[in-house]
Amino acid sequence: MEKKINHYNRISALFFLGVGLFFSFYGRTVEIGAWSEPGPGFMPFWCGILLIAMAVFLLLGSFKRKEWKAMPPFFPLADSWKRVLIGFVSMVAYLLLFKPLGFTLVTFLFIAFLLKTVFPQSWTRTLIVASATAILSRLIFINFLETQLPAGFLGF
Amino acid sequence: MDLLNHIALGAHVLFTWTNIFFCFIGVLMGTLVGVLPGLGPTAAIALLLPSTFHITPVTAIIMLAGIYYGAMYGGSTTSILVNIPGEAASVITCLDGYQMARKGRAGPALGIAAFGSFIAGTISVLGLMLVAPPLAKFALAFGPPEYFALMLLGMVVLIYLAAGSMLKALMMGVFGLLISTIGMDSISGTQRLTFGILEFSDGVGLIPAIMGLYGVAEVIVNLEEGITRSVVTSKVRDLLPNSQDWKDSFWPILRGSVLGFFIGILPGPATVISAFTSYAIEKKLSKHPERFGTGTIEGVAGPESANNAATGGAFIPLFTLGIPCNPVVAILLGAFMIYGIQPGPMMIAKYPDLFWATVMSMYLGNAMLLVLNLPLIGLWVQVLKVPYPILFPIILLFCLIGVFSLNYSSVEVALMIGFGVFGYLARKFQYEMAPLVLALVLGPMMENNVRLSLVISQGDPMIFLTHPISAGIMAVTFVLLVSPFIPWIGRRREKLQEKVGGEEV
Repeated sequence: MEKKINHYNRISALFFLGVGLFFSFYGRTVEIGAWSEPGPGFMPFWCGILLIAMAVFLLLGSFKRKEWKAMPPFFPLADSWKRVLIGFVSMVAYLLLFKPLGFTLVTFLFIAFLLKTVFPQSWTRTLIVASATAILSRLIFINFLETQLPAGFLGF
Repeated sequence: MDLLNHIALGAHVLFTWTNIFFCFIGVLMGTLVGVLPGLGPTAAIALLLPSTFHITPVTAIIMLAGIYYGAMYGGSTTSILVNIPGEAASVITCLDGYQMARKGRAGPALGIAAFGSFIAGTISVLGLMLVAPPLAKFALAFGPPEYFALMLLGMVVLIYLAAGSMLKALMMGVFGLLISTIGMDSISGTQRLTFGILEFSDGVGLIPAIMGLYGVAEVIVNLEEGITRSVVTSKVRDLLPNSQDWKDSFWPILRGSVLGFFIGILPGPATVISAFTSYAIEKKLSKHPERFGTGTIEGVAGPESANNAATGGAFIPLFTLGIPCNPVVAILLGAFMIYGIQPGPMMIAKYPDLFWATVMSMYLGNAMLLVLNLPLIGLWVQVLKVPYPILFPIILLFCLIGVFSLNYSSVEVALMIGFGVFGYLARKFQYEMAPLVLALVLGPMMENNVRLSLVISQGDPMIFLTHPISAGIMAVTFVLLVSPFIPWIGRRREKLQEKVGGEEV
């Protein structure tokens, strides 16, 4: 079935309802304070309440019977989700391998992996672009800008 | 003359080789990110901010400001040559600019965009010099209620202009305020939701958030479909507009400049709105409105001048009130704070060298852009030919390194990826990013001011209505909030929205 905007609104309203509930309960635990002397929980509590109210409004509105705007499919192409997933996962991998492997090596692997998997390039192109990026970014960030990036076990 | 003394002071500070060099780097980088689609000025300034930590504040601000107005120049180049706006403010330039390029008049289109931007940049810097100091004096009378009201207005204006549902934009704003409460409470010293993570006691970092919401999320959205684009390959020649072009463009440039400057002062996506408004005005005033959209030079000259003038105007609330009106200026505000400079009404008086040198650097930067852009257009065309499959891993890499080098913190990189996921989903569910970012910036200031106001009034919330200035601002805010329910204004809002179209601010 084709999804309409109110389906999307319903899901996101539930998310924000949860956020609002969380913050307003949290606000109570750190002291809301009096009106004449608001405490650290004042903002989280009242903004949480406001968010709950708006989320409920959005949620109820989404059940109204009317001509809702149709939404494009969540992923425009059948294989879009793969590329999106690869993008996010490779960033997480970069973060995890950054310190053990060192900046230069992990940068090379990161670029090469993305070039080869997302929109597959030829091996020659992949290797040239990945090495050039790793070497140039090393020169710019470490040698020129003197950023302290981890060297890793190989020492570069 | 006071003003002349100040200009001399600014020039004295500015004209060192280091400052000129970094001004040049700033405008060059700005033009580059303006040319590259998928990397706007917001992400670029956030990216380069860490690299400025070992230079002096004046030099750093000069460079960062250069990126901002440089990006406006660069954006127009891609609009004209490829029909793809490098950033949102240049969307309207596509209409006539690309048509001119197709008719073989890419040269004059690029030329008038550059000259128009230069003239507008100069006019808006003049305005900044004249308006900012007296406004700052006026702002000295502001207390916590006035500041709170003003920031609330800033957020509501942005929300009012949001594409799509205003309720959803409001929700993003409140969500941002909630996130901004994470960290140490500056009044009581209580740790809020920090879970013992050191990075969080200073609050959720603005730069990881911006890089995630704008940089990462934007790239990931582009990954869903392969991007293919074709560059107008015909030789770009005759960059100098002829005398007829100048005659046609003279008034559009002047009108665009003045308009852009005043819209720039207002909170919100000023560069985008001013470009659209200028186009609409030129079309209305033109004797041949039917020619608009077919490659008429007025349609390029007006909007391009307006969006450049708006960048100058956008500095006014920052320098006079310490309030940023859009994410770009918000990062600059963050930069000021990192250097220990508290922006606000006292800033111009306390750091005259910083203010006047920045203003003077805008003249210099605009002149550099004019010189830079015309001969380097060939180079920018080459940059545009780099295919996106090769470009995107490099943009992602820059986001990762940029955020890491800020505080050498892996937590902040993880935070950026988290905001990237959120930003990607929020786009899918049609939520706006800008209210969230502005709320993150203004949140801590709003919280302090609302709490101080309540302490002053001994718990009476009417304090916001009994102080005349804040009451006035509150009234405007209220009108904006209820206006969608009034059919006559609601329709105008819809029209405005169509124009602004949910683009990056």
